[in-house]
Amino acid sequence: MSVLARSVGNAFRNKVRTAAVVAVLAVAIGLALAMLAANQAVGAKVQELNASVGTVLTVNPAGGQGFEGGGEPLTTGQEATAAGVAYVSAVVGTSSLRLRNAAEAAAQSAAGQTGAGSQGGQGGQGGPGGQSAATLTTNLTAAVDAGTLGNRNQQANGTTGTSGSTQRTVRSLPITATGIGAQVDTTGKALNITEGTGLGDYTAASTGALLGTTLAQKNNLGVGSTFTINDQAYTVSGLFDAGTEFGNNAVYLTLPTAQTLAGTPDELSSMIVTVNSMENVASAKTALQAALGSDKADVTQGQNLQTAVSSLDSVKNISFIAFIAALGTAGLIILLIMVMLVRERRREIGVLKAIGAPNRTIGLQFVLEALVLAALGSAVGAVIASFASGSIASALVSSNTTTTAPTGRGFQGGAGGFPGGQGGPFGGASQLLNSVTASASPGVIAGGIAAVFGVAIIGALVPALLTARIRPIEVLRGE
Amino acid sequence: MIEVKNLVRTFNSGDRTIKPVNNVSFVLEQGTLASIVGKSGSGKSTLLSLLGALDKPTSGDVVVDGVSLAGLPDGKLTEYRRRDIGFVFQQFNLIPNLSAVDNVMLPMEFAGMKKSARLQRAKELLEQVQLDPSKHERRINRLSGGEQQRVAIARALANEPKLILADEPTGNLDEQTGDHIIGLLSSLSRDHNTTILVVTHDRALANKTDRRFRLQQGNLTEEPVRGRTAAAANA
Repeated sequence: MSVLARSVGNAFRNKVRTAAVVAVLAVAIGLALAMLAANQAVGAKVQELNASVGTVLTVNPAGGQGFEGGGEPLTTGQEATAAGVAYVSAVVGTSSLRLRNAAEAAAQSAAGQTGAGSQGGQGGQGGPGGQSAATLTTNLTAAVDAGTLGNRNQQANGTTGTSGSTQRTVRSLPITATGIGAQVDTTGKALNITEGTGLGDYTAASTGALLGTTLAQKNNLGVGSTFTINDQAYTVSGLFDAGTEFGNNAVYLTLPTAQTLAGTPDELSSMIVTVNSMENVASAKTALQAALGSDKADVTQGQNLQTAVSSLDSVKNISFIAFIAALGTAGLIILLIMVMLVRERRREIGVLKAIGAPNRTIGLQFVLEALVLAALGSAVGAVIASFASGSIASALVSSNTTTTAPTGRGFQGGAGGFPGGQGGPFGGASQLLNSVTASASPGVIAGGIAAVFGVAIIGALVPALLTARIRPIEVLRGE
Repeated sequence: MIEVKNLVRTFNSGDRTIKPVNNVSFVLEQGTLASIVGKSGSGKSTLLSLLGALDKPTSGDVVVDGVSLAGLPDGKLTEYRRRDIGFVFQQFNLIPNLSAVDNVMLPMEFAGMKKSARLQRAKELLEQVQLDPSKHERRINRLSGGEQQRVAIARALANEPKLILADEPTGNLDEQTGDHIIGLLSSLSRDHNTTILVVTHDRALANKTDRRFRLQQGNLTEEPVRGRTAAAANA
């Protein structure tokens, strides 16, 4: 019988105790693996988010950060300045409009509520561009179900910023209309056109428009259909899918068209600046801020996504710490069990030494026995992790979202601040958080189990070394 | 050859100092079958532990083939036990969750013998001590006391040691099996030049040894065996 066979045999010497030890180990190992899976999933998501926005900078009017509004609008001259900054590969200007359903606006006016034109300013929720965004009337009806939005709807309408009226009979969201200088959304991501075509020449005024899929569906519009803004007819050139409910409650026009509608031909609500590589983002950001002047413009890097990434980083850190703690617990369990076994088998160890067993053989026997227990615990733990990792990761992410939302007005402002260009398709940052799906893949399980075995060896080494201190005569003297 | 020189082992028990081995000296030539008799608690097992390097003497030395055990580190003492000594403990001290054959194979495994070779030798040894072959694979805790004693003897012979130290090797055996074991030990000493030192209360066994010692209050004296004098036995 080899040392390994003897160790396996010893591991099953007391079956009830072995079952109990394996059960406790399995819980610890299962938790460790689930945490590792969550950590890996969140890490991958962070990497994906960083890659998606890593080279895009957003320029807003100075003082317009935090969705609080304010600041002088940007100009086309500043757009040209930005384009000349080192490492900048493209600059796309945007002009934001706020569209209100004409019938609802009339009803609100009749009910004595504050007029739409003053909502952005009073509410202060409209985002940087919200201050200067022109509010126009349209025959479109917003696609977002206002009933699910609670106070955000009120803030968007500016009701809380007025006389504090609690009247909630009229509920509607404004529709975001953005003039763009290229086929990108307000975060610089290429628009995903699902039907029809783009707007053609984005630098020229046109009556073409791109509608979000849900907005088009809500209003029964398709490619070629028409709708009105300030009583002027526009034709649907194409439909896009931004991937979020908010993002699809939007209209895109060409930049000159939006500037004409707003009556501000040289003004921009924001600029989307693309840097030529990830490595140059920090340098370009500094240079851009210097070129535009910090009193004129604020240069940021995907603010909503930064919030999301920051939250995910917290989840990643928490899951990593929990992984280490669970791993340490597994190691501690093994250590204590093996110390107990060594104490229990002192006489047997003495006999083995008396008949010539070297210390290393006896130590190896106990280490292998610990590894057998760890292997059994890992097998059961992997099953536990495969079932639990998804829900544990979801619980971690959602608890982090809950923590972030109240302090981060950005989530609320993200909705209200749409017109300012901060919201856009990524306005629902929480959706990014919730889209993290953890699963205990074979790679994660293999890596986790390797770590468990490492800890098991460390945990078993101490008791194995204790066996070297046992002198045969001390345990045999009992005779 | 084993040379015991002025061996002393003391224990402290409260204010008292107990001296189970008190200035013991003797020489055993290779191939001698010797016995130690004495009352319970006279220090017989302690003396065996010192000879087998399980314990260290308070003073004195044991020299085996010219090598002093007193100067050897723990690793070398383990090697000495593995290679040169075979123990038969009074309480057998077998590993309870292993089979008879696995217990006998253990010393051979520690000595690095190949599995097939040690399995074959273990079975041969168990046959020599007359353990029923149907019980070779049986776990120790399912064997009787006498059967366990035979397994313990087989384990002691496993590595063909130079010296076998046996504490009451026939104590749990019936007369017939006891006689067989005595015959086996005699043939080992005679045919294989193995030195055997047994501690026993069994007068029949003691009378069949080449030399007989009596241990009383830590002091060792040699007694004549079968009419032979100590000098004759040494000759």
